[in-house]
Amino acid sequence: MSNYSLKLELPWVEKYRPQVLKDIVGNQETIERLKLIAENGNMPHLIISGLPGIGKTTSIHCLAHELLGKHYNDATLELNASDDRGIDIVRNKIKQFAQKKVQLPQGRHKIIILDEADSMTPGAQQALRRTMEIYSNSTRFAFACNQSNKIIEPLQSRCAILRYGKLQDEEVLKRLLEILKLEDVKFSNDGLEALIFTAEGDMRQAINNLQSTNSGFGFVNGENVFKIVDSPHPLIIKRILLNCINQNFDDSLQLLNELWTKGYSAIDIASTSFKVVKNMNEITESKRLEIMKEIGITHMRVLEGVGSYLQLNGMLARISEIK
Amino acid sequence: MVDIRDFFGNSSGKGAKKKTLVAPVAKSLEKKVTSKLDSINKRAIAEVISLSDEDDEDFTNLTKKPKVETTSTSLSETEPKSEPRAVERNKRGDKSEFFGNSKTNKRKNKQVVVDVDDEDGDFSPENSDGDDDFNDDQFIGDDDDYADFKGEEKFGGRKRLRSARSPQLNDRNANKGFVSKELEKLPKSRTSTLEDGASVGKQPSRKKVAKSSIKSEAVASSIPDYKSSGISATDILAKIPDADLPEDIPTDQGFNFRDFKARQSTLPTGSNDIKIPEGAPNCLTGLTMVFTGVLPNISRDDSENLAKRYGAKVTKSISSKTSVVVLGEEAGPSKVRKIKQFKLKAIDEAGFLQLIQGMPEEGGDGDAAERARSKRLEEEQQALREAEKLQEEADIEAKKREEAIKRLQKNGKSAMPSNLKLDSEKLWTVRYAPTSLEQICGNKSSVTKLKDWLEQWPRKFGNRKPEKGETEMRAVLIHGPPGIGKTTAAHLIAKSLGYDILEKNASDVRSKSLLHENIGNVLNNTSVVGFFNNASQNSNKFCIIMDEVDGMSGGDRGGVGELASFARKTQAPLILICNDKSSPKMRPFDRCTLEIPFRRPSAREMKSRLMTIALREGVKLDPNTIDQLVAATSNDIRQIINLISTVSMTQKTIDSSNSKSIAQDWQKNIALKPFDIIPRLLSGQNYLENSSLPLYKKMELYFDDHAFVPPMLQENYLNTRPNRGNHLKQVAQAADSISLGDLVDAKIHSSDQQWSLMPLHAIMSTVRPGSLVAGSVSGRINFAGWFGQNSKTGKYYRLLTELQYRSRLRTSTNAIEFRLEYLPILVKRMLITLLSQGADAIPTIIDILDHYYLNKSDFDYLMEFPIGVDNTAPALKKIPTKVKSALTRKYNAGSHPISVYKPGTSTGVSSKSKEPKPDFDEVVEDDEPEDEVDE
Repeated sequence: MSNYSLKLELPWVEKYRPQVLKDIVGNQETIERLKLIAENGNMPHLIISGLPGIGKTTSIHCLAHELLGKHYNDATLELNASDDRGIDIVRNKIKQFAQKKVQLPQGRHKIIILDEADSMTPGAQQALRRTMEIYSNSTRFAFACNQSNKIIEPLQSRCAILRYGKLQDEEVLKRLLEILKLEDVKFSNDGLEALIFTAEGDMRQAINNLQSTNSGFGFVNGENVFKIVDSPHPLIIKRILLNCINQNFDDSLQLLNELWTKGYSAIDIASTSFKVVKNMNEITESKRLEIMKEIGITHMRVLEGVGSYLQLNGMLARISEIK
Repeated sequence: MVDIRDFFGNSSGKGAKKKTLVAPVAKSLEKKVTSKLDSINKRAIAEVISLSDEDDEDFTNLTKKPKVETTSTSLSETEPKSEPRAVERNKRGDKSEFFGNSKTNKRKNKQVVVDVDDEDGDFSPENSDGDDDFNDDQFIGDDDDYADFKGEEKFGGRKRLRSARSPQLNDRNANKGFVSKELEKLPKSRTSTLEDGASVGKQPSRKKVAKSSIKSEAVASSIPDYKSSGISATDILAKIPDADLPEDIPTDQGFNFRDFKARQSTLPTGSNDIKIPEGAPNCLTGLTMVFTGVLPNISRDDSENLAKRYGAKVTKSISSKTSVVVLGEEAGPSKVRKIKQFKLKAIDEAGFLQLIQGMPEEGGDGDAAERARSKRLEEEQQALREAEKLQEEADIEAKKREEAIKRLQKNGKSAMPSNLKLDSEKLWTVRYAPTSLEQICGNKSSVTKLKDWLEQWPRKFGNRKPEKGETEMRAVLIHGPPGIGKTTAAHLIAKSLGYDILEKNASDVRSKSLLHENIGNVLNNTSVVGFFNNASQNSNKFCIIMDEVDGMSGGDRGGVGELASFARKTQAPLILICNDKSSPKMRPFDRCTLEIPFRRPSAREMKSRLMTIALREGVKLDPNTIDQLVAATSNDIRQIINLISTVSMTQKTIDSSNSKSIAQDWQKNIALKPFDIIPRLLSGQNYLENSSLPLYKKMELYFDDHAFVPPMLQENYLNTRPNRGNHLKQVAQAADSISLGDLVDAKIHSSDQQWSLMPLHAIMSTVRPGSLVAGSVSGRINFAGWFGQNSKTGKYYRLLTELQYRSRLRTSTNAIEFRLEYLPILVKRMLITLLSQGADAIPTIIDILDHYYLNKSDFDYLMEFPIGVDNTAPALKKIPTKVKSALTRKYNAGSHPISVYKPGTSTGVSSKSKEPKPDFDEVVEDDEPEDEVDE
C-alpha cells in the first residue's frame, strides 16, 4: 500500500508529461513542423493557440529543451499567468533578458516562453512589439494561449501562428492505454469510453479523471467515471431535449427523473442543457435561440434559489411548447 | 425582380406581341452575322456536324446556319411562325453551344434590341442604338478570343461533348415548342440592354426555369455542351440580368436601395447540390471578372476564390477592362448600368461554372490570355532577377562577414557580434527586410511624402525655434495597420538622408518626466556620432523616431501630452508612428503633426516581392495563391513572410491544392471592434442555414467586447429591415429580449455576481434580438447613445447635488425635490426677468442668487437643466451678450454670501492645502495641448 501511495505522489499528468516532441500526441502536422525547427534551429516567433489540455505548453517546453539542451536554464525565460507580466516586467525583465548574452551554438537563440499569453494586458503586449523585432537575432518568443484573438494584431503579425486542434479520440485512447498499462490499472472498455467522452479532446482532463477514478474506486468503468466527473451526461440531456422538441414530453420527463434521482443538481442540468442546445445543429438556429432563452431563464431562477424538480419540469414544458 | 419564369409563363399569352422580334434586325444582322460566320472555324463546323449525326434535325439546323439571317428576315416580314423560329432557335442554340456563340449572340442581340424598340415605348431608340454599337465591339473582341479557344476545346472536349450532347439535344427537341415561345419572349426580356450574351444564354436558362424537373438534367447536360464556348456561359448569364433590368431601368431615379437590399438578403439559398467542376489549370487566365449580386449556390467569396484559383483577375468594380461579369440575382443597379455602359458580357452562376469547365488550360489563345501569361512570365522573371540581385548582395554580405570575423579573430575575440550572424540564423522577416526605399511594397506616395518632408526639414526648421503662428508641422505622424512597413520606411528614409536615429518604442518607459529628461534635452542637439563619422559632410543631423505611440499606456503618464508639446517646438525632425490614429489617445497630435497614412499594400504590390523570397528559399509559390494568403492575413506582408517561412519547413510547394487550408490556419484572429461586430449580427445572411457564422460564433462576437456590444446592438437594432415576419412584431420581440437581457445583466453585475449567466446574456442581449431583426442594415452603424446619455445623467445629477448643497440653508428638500419643485420656478423667474427687463433685472437676479447662496456659475448650471418642453436654450440666446457680461461683471464686483458647504470636499480641507502643488504629470495629461500654444 505504501508503494501505491508513493506512486501517487506525482499527478499522472506530470508524471506522463511528454519530454520530447515525438511523444506528443495529436496535431501531427504541427508537431512535425516543430520537430524540424528543433532539428534545424532558427525558431521563428511562435504563437500556439488551442483548447486547454492539448499540449501547447508541453510542446513549447519540449521544443525549447530539444533546441537548447544543456543551455536550457540559461537561455530560456518562462513567464506564465502566475508571474507578474505587467508592462514594467516586459520593459525590464524581458527586455533585459533579451539583451543578455548567452553563448549558444549556431542557429540557436534564447527563448522567452510566455505561457497563457492571452491574459497579458494589451499594454504589456504593445511593449513587446519592438523588443521582438530588435532582438530577434538573439532571442525568440513563444506564446501559448487559448484564444489567439486576445493577442494584439501586431504581435500576431510577427509570429508564426500554429493552431492546435482538439485531440482525436483515438489519440487520447492510445495515450490512456499506455498509462493504464504502466500504472497497471484495471479497467473496462466502457470506462475508457466514458473517460474519452467526458474529456472532449482534453488529454489533461482525461488523465486526471483516470487517476481520480483509479484512486477512488480502483477500477475504471463507465459508472465510476461518471461518478467522478459528476456532470449530467450530455447525451442524456440531448435526448431529454430532443424528446421535448418532438413532443414526447413524457419520455423526456422520465429521463429527467432518472437524472434527478441520481442526484444531479438543477444548476448542472440547466447549464449542461444550455451548452448542449448551443451545438445542436439539427435544430434551426432561431428555434435554438428560443430554447436557449427558456433554459437560460430557468438557469437564472435556479440561481435565485429555486432549484426544484418542478422548476426543471417547467423548463421542459415550456421548451416543448416552442414551435 | 422580373423573373424569367414570369415571362416564360406568360410567353404564350404574349406571343402575339413578338411579331417584330426579328424584323428590323435583318439587315444589320445580315452584315454582322455573315462576317461572324466567316470567322467560324470551318473545321469546327465539320465537327459539329459529325457530332450532330445523332440528331438529324440538329444537323440540318447547323447546315442552314448561314441562312439564318434570311430566315429571320422573312420571319420578321411575315407574321412570325413558331416553326421556323424554332428551327432558327435550334440552330442558334446549337451553334452557340458548340462554338463561341458569338455570332448567334450578335444576331440575337440585334433581335432583342429591336424588340425592345418596338415593344416598349419607354425604351428610347438611342438606347437600342447604343446596344447595337456595343454588341459589335464586344463581339469582335470576344470572337477572336473565344473562337480560338473554341477550336482547341473542340478537339479535346469532343468526346465529352458528344456523350453529353444527346440528352441535351433531346431535351431541346422536346422543347422546340418552347423555343419558339422563347424567341418571342426574348424581346420582352429587356435583356437587350445587356448586350449580346443574352440571347444565347436564354435557351439554357429557359429550360432551367421552365421545366424545373428537367432543370437539373438540362443544366448538367448543358455544361459539357457549352464547354467549348466560354461565351455561351456568358450568354446564359445575360438572361438573369435581363430579368433585373426592366425593373431597374425605369426606376433609375426612384430606386429604393433599402427595398433592394432587403430583397437581396431574402433571396433563397440554392440547393447547394451544384457540383463545382474541375477546370483546366489557370483556365481563366487573362479574364478580368467581376462578381455582383447573390449567386444561388456559391457564396461570393467562394466564387471569387474559384475564379482566382483558375487565374482570373477578380476586381470589385466594373470598368471597361472587365471581360466578364458574373451576375447573381439582385445585382446592384449601378453595376447593371455599368455593364450596359461598357457593353460587357455578363454570365450567371451556371454559366460561370461552364466557363471554368470549358476553358482550356492557360486561358486559351486569346490576346488577353496571351498578355496575362506573358505578364506572369515577366513577373516570374522579375522575381528571378531580384532573387539574383539578392543573392549577389548576400554573397557580398557573406564576404564582408567573413572578413569581419577574421579580423575579430585576429584581435583575439572569438565572440560573434549579433550583426555578423548568418542569414540562416535570422528570421525571414529580418533577412528580407527592405534595404532600400524601392523595396518597400506599396505606399509609394506616402514614402515619397515622408522623404520630401524629411529632406526639407533642415531648410525649413533647422536651428531655429518655432515662431508664432507657424503652420508648418515640425513632426510627422505615420499611421496604418501593423506589418506594412511603417517603421521600416521611417528608418530607411532617415538613414538614406544621413540622419542619426534616436528611437523610442513601447518597450521603453515614456512617461512625461522621462521623456522630458531623455528627449526634451536633446531636441536642440546635433549628432556627435554623425559629426565624427562624416565630418566632411558635417552630417550631424539626427532625428527622433517614436514608435508605437499608441502603445503608451499605464506607466507612461503624461507621455502623450509631452510628446505633443515636443512636436511643436522640436528642433530635430520627430517621426511618430502609430497604428490607430483615431484612438482618443492620439488626439493631442491632431493639430501639431503632419499625418501620413500608410495603407495595406495590395496583393499585386506584394506579389513580386513574395515571389522573390519564395524563389530564394526554394519554395514553389503559385502566384495565384498569393491573393488568398493576402486575404487571409488582411494584407499583412510580414505575416505572409512568416507564414511562408513556417509552412516551407514541411511543404515546399504552396499552390491551389493546399493554399486554402493554409490560409484558413493563418487567418488572423483578432477581436473585432463593436463597429464591425454589429453589422455581422444584424446582417440577414448570417442567419441563414449554413451561414458562415454559426450560433457559437455569434456568441463569440458578444464575448469580443461584452461591455459594448449589447448597447451598440440596442442602438442599431431599429435600423434594419427584417427578413422575416412583420417588422413591428420582430422589433417588439427584439426589444423584449433586450430588456430580458438587462435583467440577466443585473444578475451578473449586481452583488450576485453570477458570471455563469454570461452566455445567457449573450443570447438575450445580442444574438436573439439580432436574429429577430436581422435583415438588411440601412444607414450606418451608430455608436451606442446610451453611453453619452448615461454620462450626461451622471453630470446633471452631480450638478443637482451641488446646487442642492449650496441652497440647503434656504430650501429643505432632497435633491429630487429640489429638481422637481424649486428648479423650474427658479429658472423661470430669473430667465423671464432677464428677458423682459434686460440689464435692469441684474440686481434682482443677483438678489435671488444670493438668497439661495448660489454663485454665478451656478446660475449657468441652472440654465443647463432642460425644463419641460425645453425652451431655455433659445431663450438664453435672446438675451444680449451685453446683458450677460454685465451680469457677470456686476456679480463679480460685489461680495456674496456663501453657505459653508463645500461640495465634494466637505470632509474638511484645511486652508493650507488650498493651493496644493499640482501633480505635474496629471496636469499635462489632461491639458489640451492647444492651451500651451496659446501662451
